[in-house]
Amino acid sequence: MTLRSIIHRRASAGGAPAPRRPAVRTTLAVSAVLLTVVALLAMGANRALAHKEKHTPDQLKAFDDIFMEQVKVGDLLFHGDGATEKKLGVELSKTAMACAMCHPFASDTHPQEFPKFQEQINKFATLRDMINWCIEKPNEGVKIPEDSEAMKALEAYIYWSNRGSRLDAGRH
Amino acid sequence: MDHLSNERREIVQTLQAPDTRPDPSLRVTRRTFLHKSLLTAGVTASAATYGWFPLINTIDLAWGQTGFKFAWVSDTHLYPKNVNTRFVDKATRAFKEVQAMSPPADFLIFGGDLAQLGDPVELDLGADILKEVKIKKVFIPGEHDWYLDMGKKWEALFGKQPWTFDHKGVRFVGLDTVSRGPDYWTAKKMTDKERMGHMATLDGSVAGAWAGVGRDQLQWLQQNLSSWPKDRPVVIFTHNPLYEYYPPWNFWVRDWREVHEILKPYGNVTNIHGHTHQVLYNEIGKIRSIGMLATSWPWPYAPEGVPALTKCHLRVDPGDHFDGVGWAQLTMSAANKIENEYMMWRKKDHIFAEAQVDSGCGDNGNQILSPRTADREWPYYGAYK
Repeated sequence: MTLRSIIHRRASAGGAPAPRRPAVRTTLAVSAVLLTVVALLAMGANRALAHKEKHTPDQLKAFDDIFMEQVKVGDLLFHGDGATEKKLGVELSKTAMACAMCHPFASDTHPQEFPKFQEQINKFATLRDMINWCIEKPNEGVKIPEDSEAMKALEAYIYWSNRGSRLDAGRH
Repeated sequence: MDHLSNERREIVQTLQAPDTRPDPSLRVTRRTFLHKSLLTAGVTASAATYGWFPLINTIDLAWGQTGFKFAWVSDTHLYPKNVNTRFVDKATRAFKEVQAMSPPADFLIFGGDLAQLGDPVELDLGADILKEVKIKKVFIPGEHDWYLDMGKKWEALFGKQPWTFDHKGVRFVGLDTVSRGPDYWTAKKMTDKERMGHMATLDGSVAGAWAGVGRDQLQWLQQNLSSWPKDRPVVIFTHNPLYEYYPPWNFWVRDWREVHEILKPYGNVTNIHGHTHQVLYNEIGKIRSIGMLATSWPWPYAPEGVPALTKCHLRVDPGDHFDGVGWAQLTMSAANKIENEYMMWRKKDHIFAEAQVDSGCGDNGNQILSPRTADREWPYYGAYK
């Protein structure tokens, strides 16, 4: 899409109230151009920040290390490691059942199918909803906040283990 | 995991010649019917309490001897009562139902994993609950029973393996497929509890390929069967399946080739196994294998390797502790049949899935899984960091 067409679309989308009045139309068009330029500059600036230089191997390794660290924390939580639970201040089970006892290799967690309607919860649910359902119901543990470190780590492990699975959102 | 596919192809090439099947008189059919004996006697109350009708799927095998029944219970995975009573309740229920069988079973085979972490408290608890069953009882161990004290408590309570006995024309054999795991603990100076912990993690990477029959038991098996007519029925009880289903979870024995080499001359061999906690059926050469339910919890079907002859059970509801679990009774009828009846505790009209969307293995084509990572580093990542 050209800049010209973007300007045109923005102006139209703005829904100019009185197209027969040139002064108003000109003002709207100028505003739209200014807004678009500012927006494009802002996007460019962000891009410049994220991709200032070509990625170095060290940089890529650092990104991977950050991810794999969370995968390992999630792996331990998933396998009922008491020390990791204590460190993160969570109690995922009060029955001594760990997630992995029903989901070895995170099987049948189906992260690739979320979001979807989940029968047990009777709602359109995310993977995080389902993780909390398993903690609360079969494991009889204490639900964890959706954006907590433990939740992100569990999610990291489940996604990592299923990274070869075929993305199929909504599949039952 | 391409090597798994290669090994499976090798199984077929070695053992599944075009004209090789289990004894043709052993016709396999499946049907579902309401098991009336559960609606009588002491079991009626509990059935009514839980609001279920036990609906049982059977595998009928034409056989050749006089009628009798035996029962299989395994994989109770008991924790001490102060940790949770969920598994205690289910084991107790299974044993009560075995005792209530009418006509009674000639014996109970307990197929291993009585305890969860090999704790003497757990094993004593199991022995105590087992007193519910007054008929003859025979035992084989699971890895959860063994690796805290290397089987000392287990053997003190339940005796040694292997064993054999003949009953009404059938030779029954009990093998130990769990105790011959390679030593992964000494070099790393693990405590007994650490060793047990790795063994109790089905998808762990530390304990390795621990399931095996072992050279000594193979020799014993060969000798034991040498005097047995080749066409007479042999039933072999093992904790792990005697074929390669999914090695990463030890759903196999590593020396399955040697086992099959010994059993090859025999035309009427049935292996009944636990460990996999799911409905399974397979034929390798002339041997059939039947996988039994756990009373504790169901394992998911492995992401690959489910035998083509297995009709998977229905998806399990994780919110219902009595779903996907149970025990089995095997009836050898006067009409020369043996029926394997999965006593799955669930309120459904059948246990085998018809549609892929309802099947426990229906998603296998859609999920590719990775072995875990956090236990590959030493000192063990996390707990000892």
